[in-house]
Amino acid sequence: MTGNWERGTGNTVPLPGRSRSLAVWLGMTVLASVAQGQTQTGTYVIRGGTVVPVVGARIPNGAVVISGGKIQAVGANVQAPQGATVIDATGLFVYPGMIDSGTELGLTEIGSVPGSTDTREIGDFNPQDVALTAVNAHSELIPVTRVNGVTTVVTSATGALMSGTAALIDLWGWTPDEMAITPRVAQVMSYPSSGGGGRGGGFGGRPQGDTAETVSRQARAMRDLFADARAYADVKAKLAAGGSVPNASRVNQAMESLVPAIRGEMPIIFDVNTIEQIRGVLTLADSFKLKVILRGPRDAWRVADTLATRGIPVIVGPTTQVPGSDDPYDAIYAQPGVLAKAGVKIAFQTSGASDVRDLPYNAALATAYGLDMDEAMKALTINPAQIFGVADRYGSLEPGKVANVMVTTGNPLDVRSNVKYLFIRGEQVPLTDRHTKLYEQFRARPKP
Amino acid sequence: MNTREGWGMRDVGKLREPGTGNRERVSFRAQRGIALVPVESPRSGSLRSLAALGMTLLLGASPAFAQAGNPQRPAAATAAPNAQQAPPLDLTAVSLPIPPAGKLVAITNATIMTASNGTIEKGTIVIRDGKIAAVGADVPVPAGAKIIDGTGKYVTPGIIDAHSHSAAEAINEGTLSITSMVRIEDVLRQDGISLYRQLAGGTTTLNILHGSANTIGGQNAVVKLRYGLPVDSLKFEGAPPGIKFALGENVRQTNRNLQPGQQGRFPRTRMGVEDLLRDAFTRAQEYRRDWQQYDAKKKAAKTAAERAALIPPARDLELDALVEVLEGKRLVHCHSYRADEILMMLRVAKDFGFRVATFQHVLEGYKIADELAKAGSGASTFADEWAYKMEAWDAIPYNAALMAERGVVVTINSDSDERARRLYQEAAKAMHYGGASEQEALKMITLNAAKQLGIDKRVGSIDVGKDADLAIFTAHPFAPNARVDMTLIDGRVFFDRATSPTLEQLIEQMKQRKPHVASEDR
Repeated sequence: MTGNWERGTGNTVPLPGRSRSLAVWLGMTVLASVAQGQTQTGTYVIRGGTVVPVVGARIPNGAVVISGGKIQAVGANVQAPQGATVIDATGLFVYPGMIDSGTELGLTEIGSVPGSTDTREIGDFNPQDVALTAVNAHSELIPVTRVNGVTTVVTSATGALMSGTAALIDLWGWTPDEMAITPRVAQVMSYPSSGGGGRGGGFGGRPQGDTAETVSRQARAMRDLFADARAYADVKAKLAAGGSVPNASRVNQAMESLVPAIRGEMPIIFDVNTIEQIRGVLTLADSFKLKVILRGPRDAWRVADTLATRGIPVIVGPTTQVPGSDDPYDAIYAQPGVLAKAGVKIAFQTSGASDVRDLPYNAALATAYGLDMDEAMKALTINPAQIFGVADRYGSLEPGKVANVMVTTGNPLDVRSNVKYLFIRGEQVPLTDRHTKLYEQFRARPKP
Repeated sequence: MNTREGWGMRDVGKLREPGTGNRERVSFRAQRGIALVPVESPRSGSLRSLAALGMTLLLGASPAFAQAGNPQRPAAATAAPNAQQAPPLDLTAVSLPIPPAGKLVAITNATIMTASNGTIEKGTIVIRDGKIAAVGADVPVPAGAKIIDGTGKYVTPGIIDAHSHSAAEAINEGTLSITSMVRIEDVLRQDGISLYRQLAGGTTTLNILHGSANTIGGQNAVVKLRYGLPVDSLKFEGAPPGIKFALGENVRQTNRNLQPGQQGRFPRTRMGVEDLLRDAFTRAQEYRRDWQQYDAKKKAAKTAAERAALIPPARDLELDALVEVLEGKRLVHCHSYRADEILMMLRVAKDFGFRVATFQHVLEGYKIADELAKAGSGASTFADEWAYKMEAWDAIPYNAALMAERGVVVTINSDSDERARRLYQEAAKAMHYGGASEQEALKMITLNAAKQLGIDKRVGSIDVGKDADLAIFTAHPFAPNARVDMTLIDGRVFFDRATSPTLEQLIEQMKQRKPHVASEDR
């Protein structure tokens, strides 16, 4: 298997007894000129604000206690521990950090500079590729993202039929290992498409020539690979049980990487667009008993009831797209509300890197067209935590959970709101980045 | 056929030949001719609309697009750009499947965000013949007015997108670096559903620009989103003409993959771009001088024989447009990213005596905001795009607010059919990043854009006498759940959510049509 991530599928990194010096380094070295660059880890009590735990009712004039990287207490009548740093949140709001369920963060820096991008490998089938390998923990895009309250993302290569495994990472850490929550959280695949744009639509790899023939050939190749993986997994299981298998195949990286998915232990994110692709995925899921997550579909509203019944989650967005030419003008904006009302578990993605900070505004567009505001907040927090199997530690303000907490001036979906304080894994994060630095620098330029 | 009028001839019989370049003027004319035919038919089957289309095709001249000018002379040197204005469009006479607003309309009991004079609570706007006749908290509703109940709603000026490529058939001419002779208005089309979708986001006016492959690009077209009317009706009557310039990576073509054996186009460096600009404007100055000398001699000629003996300089359609720039009759909208190239453009403009009306994108404008303000150039930028190429690496979302703070007239544009649907959300980012005031942010998509395009006497704010171009929102336009319910242009309702096909309606229809099949079937 691929060297560094030999942790077994689905294993998660234990909660960090992390180096305190990260915050200090960020605060003092990079951002020395910025006033709020002073950071600390330790014990905090955020009090006086409206606490929105996402799970459960909002608490006016509530408090959140953070210590040892975790949320220790949430409530209206919470005792502040001795020596806790007090954050006065009077007039402010306290939310869990937001989660983007589809990004390329850490894998790309400047879109048009090939040397700075690791988002697309050669070839159609690379299930053995591990996104976390290429995550640049020191990408300038990471601080730019988190200052808007996005603390956690799914990041991966995309565009190939099988792009490899995505990583679930916190936007905090010296190395990819330190950032990782789940190093390999899901396989990322695109269902073959006859075109039509969009990430799931083969935008980069639109088949040439006879598209119907190509789609059919690609779909067949995909099925064949799953069938091989099923056989490989069976052999593996038999050998593990002490059985003997004549002519057992050698270790195959691609097959190894597909074993957890074919056993239904690791979900597969399918980037799709059209109803044909969705049906293709559902059929594949039936044939091979796969645990699938649909991502980015335009047509999921057509099968909302089916998806709800089958418990298939849908990662919607980006909502900043134009609808298909035959779709109603509000189709992209209205779809998340339609799915949520039908009982589908939804989460949001931006699908990008430099624009991940716009995640809450993606959700906002859906609230204008039928998605309930509280549901939207869940789709940015607890829902993705559930979809990616970390809801015991992420996605809400509850005692015992990882202290990813933001304190805001208002509804995070409202562009006019700002994040005033941010904690990731219990460390207070400086609200500074390349952009605030340039802003302060040139704002101070003397007038002629 | 060497005249402006000649260029206006529509050769509808000729089909566009694939691969026809415009190095040859003749073939370019053929291309131009055919491109005038509207690609999309109007939304309605209205006889009048069809008749108007037919007129365009047969007579080859749209009144709304008629150019001023003398056949013998560069247009710039003679008439004012709009001397030969078309009569005002009688929009109410055209039958369309959009609810006619009528002659007299009142929007009542609404929160009115004027963009010029703050916000009026529980206010009324009276619209008479497409113009705002009254606005205020204590304005009486005239008898017989059609009422639009604005209770709980927010009304803003119609949104103006200062950088669009919608409704244009093609926007880049990749072969030459100077293409000042090509005109967006010649390739306008109704552009299918996209214009409607922008209307549904409260957008009413677009500055449709040529692409950025050329140092000196083509001539722009300012349009109103009169969706459903014949394509020539889109034109914003009286808007000053403009032209696209471009600097940086796009004109240097540094992101273009050359085929083996293919040679790159000049210019390849930012120095080359400056050289090209200075050369072009030097030629334009000489061209203008040649015409001035010819005119003077012609005037001085005593006899018809003397006049006949004079030979006029050869017409140059490329330089005609640049002469208009030199004379301040054509607004320059300059695509730019880096501070250095913007300063270069300002120096060139100063040396040749013209003003750059707007710098477009202007992502490093915040570094040189004082220089922009001093030059009187507007800045039209993205809300928060960055990192998509090297020259966008220093782009910051504080750009708009910081430039505004230092006295630049700033707009936030879309440059995209998608962002044009939600410019109100983009504008709010100027509040998020850099703390612009609510009115300042609103101006960045309304009044400031009108100023940059020289149409602020007509649109951009809710003031008496201006065109009744309005967007009606269900909530504060910067609120997360803000949605446009209605969009008016010239007092006519061009978008109304109540009568628009929505996803919810479609799902309802599908359920009713096939009650016996599973919901997953169409």
